[in-house]
Amino acid sequence: MSASDESLPKAPHAIEDFLRAYTEEGRLRGFRCPNCGLVTATWGLACARCGHRGLEETELSPRGRVSAFTILHVPGDEFLNDAPYAYVVVDLDGGGRITGWMPEVRAPSEIKIGERVRFQPGYKPGVQFVRDADAPRSG
Amino acid sequence: MRETWVVGAASNRFGKMRETGREAATRVAMQAIETSGLTPQDIGYTFVANCFGIAEHQAHVGPLINNGLGIPDTPSVTLESACSSSSAALHEAFVHVAGGFADAALVVGAEKLSHLDTLTSTSYFAIAADYAFETRNGATFPGLYATLASAYRQAFPTRDEMFGSVAIKNHANAARNPHAHFQKEISMDTYLGSPMIATPLRLYDCCPFSDGAAAIVVAAKEFVKKPVGEPLVVRASARSGSVTDMQDRPDLLGLPATRTAAAKAFRQAKMEPKDIDFLEVHDCFTIAEVLALEDLGFFPKGTGAKESAEGVTARDGKLPVNPSGGLKAKGHPVSATGASQVVEIFEQMNGLAPGREVPKTGTALAHNVGATGGSCSVHIFSRR
Repeated sequence: MSASDESLPKAPHAIEDFLRAYTEEGRLRGFRCPNCGLVTATWGLACARCGHRGLEETELSPRGRVSAFTILHVPGDEFLNDAPYAYVVVDLDGGGRITGWMPEVRAPSEIKIGERVRFQPGYKPGVQFVRDADAPRSG
Repeated sequence: MRETWVVGAASNRFGKMRETGREAATRVAMQAIETSGLTPQDIGYTFVANCFGIAEHQAHVGPLINNGLGIPDTPSVTLESACSSSSAALHEAFVHVAGGFADAALVVGAEKLSHLDTLTSTSYFAIAADYAFETRNGATFPGLYATLASAYRQAFPTRDEMFGSVAIKNHANAARNPHAHFQKEISMDTYLGSPMIATPLRLYDCCPFSDGAAAIVVAAKEFVKKPVGEPLVVRASARSGSVTDMQDRPDLLGLPATRTAAAKAFRQAKMEPKDIDFLEVHDCFTIAEVLALEDLGFFPKGTGAKESAEGVTARDGKLPVNPSGGLKAKGHPVSATGASQVVEIFEQMNGLAPGREVPKTGTALAHNVGATGGSCSVHIFSRR
């Protein structure tokens, strides 16, 4: 990296680090805004809510509740062989909201808004959840 | 700021184009210029929208269009704002003309994706979502709007038929629009019986992939001595943005960018929702039309689906919405959509919409969204 790159503003970590955390480290990394308290799982240099510079590194809870969901029957190319599956918006315990997919959930009757879910690293690079009741006991 | 008019407009029939996007763009552009009474040589700047030109192995299409129009020396630029690309182009044209940097400007949007299969098209569309934090987590566009529908239906008591009424109304309008992709009415049974794409969205909740092209010509009032048709006065040209990712939105019950763009537009126009006679809104999915009407301030939050089911938004209703058939049934050639909304308003105000006329055409609003609301344009037009 050149000196000119070194002098550019940096986020607490790179997009690549989010993805590595999902798959290799089995955790959800995020940023926290010390000014307004927003906890986010999206990369940025400043808070998307209040504009504050100086976001801090934080770790998000792997558990939370589903706040919205859909069962996707027509996927994009990277999920071609996975449909139907649930795509969920999850409000994480302790703050922060994240989206992910649930390979085991294949019909609306198998999930509800408010359902407890847990992050579980999967075989794809994105964020994968399982129903908390289905998760292996640990931690 | 100079008073700015829309003086010409043209669209082809949306659906499946045999010709290239470049040919279609040039042909609608020439027709729009002809209807304006201006000549190609009067155009000071060409603003092009063609998000997926790359699917035709073509970038930098602006100069090719200008070459085809016989004005190779005219500057051009291609703008990308996902599904709001051509309304973004209109905004830039407005800024140039109102600000005195051009006397007349051409806005042209075109898209051609029908030579690709559905999977490839879906993947092209998904490029406009956040790849790292949405698409890679399993999202598609129907999936993202479906989560909005899920949150809406959890918050407000709504029935499938209420959303079905939006689709049925827009199909009925499109059946009377020669530019429309789908020119047939559908029944509630057809709607309810159509396959699930992303629950609760059925096939008939979703707009189609369409090819298409649309163009408009804007000019400064003093530059147009004798307009051929009834010009539209641009009363407001406003754009806004908002938090892109669903996961960072404080609530999922609307699109924040629609609210802020509408506030700017109504302020610019010195108007209120009650002053608008009819609307063209961004209904890529039925839920999107419901959210748009609420976020624009026409209905209180949570009541848009009910109002639609009661016929308020029908072509002959109290507030006609999407007399063109909307994205839902006229079709959604991404980069042509915003311009085509203005084509519909131009045709309605010029008596060029036989069979689908709305009762009052004094004022109209066009609302065009980029992706899931990272961008939004609101334009307000009136007769002179």
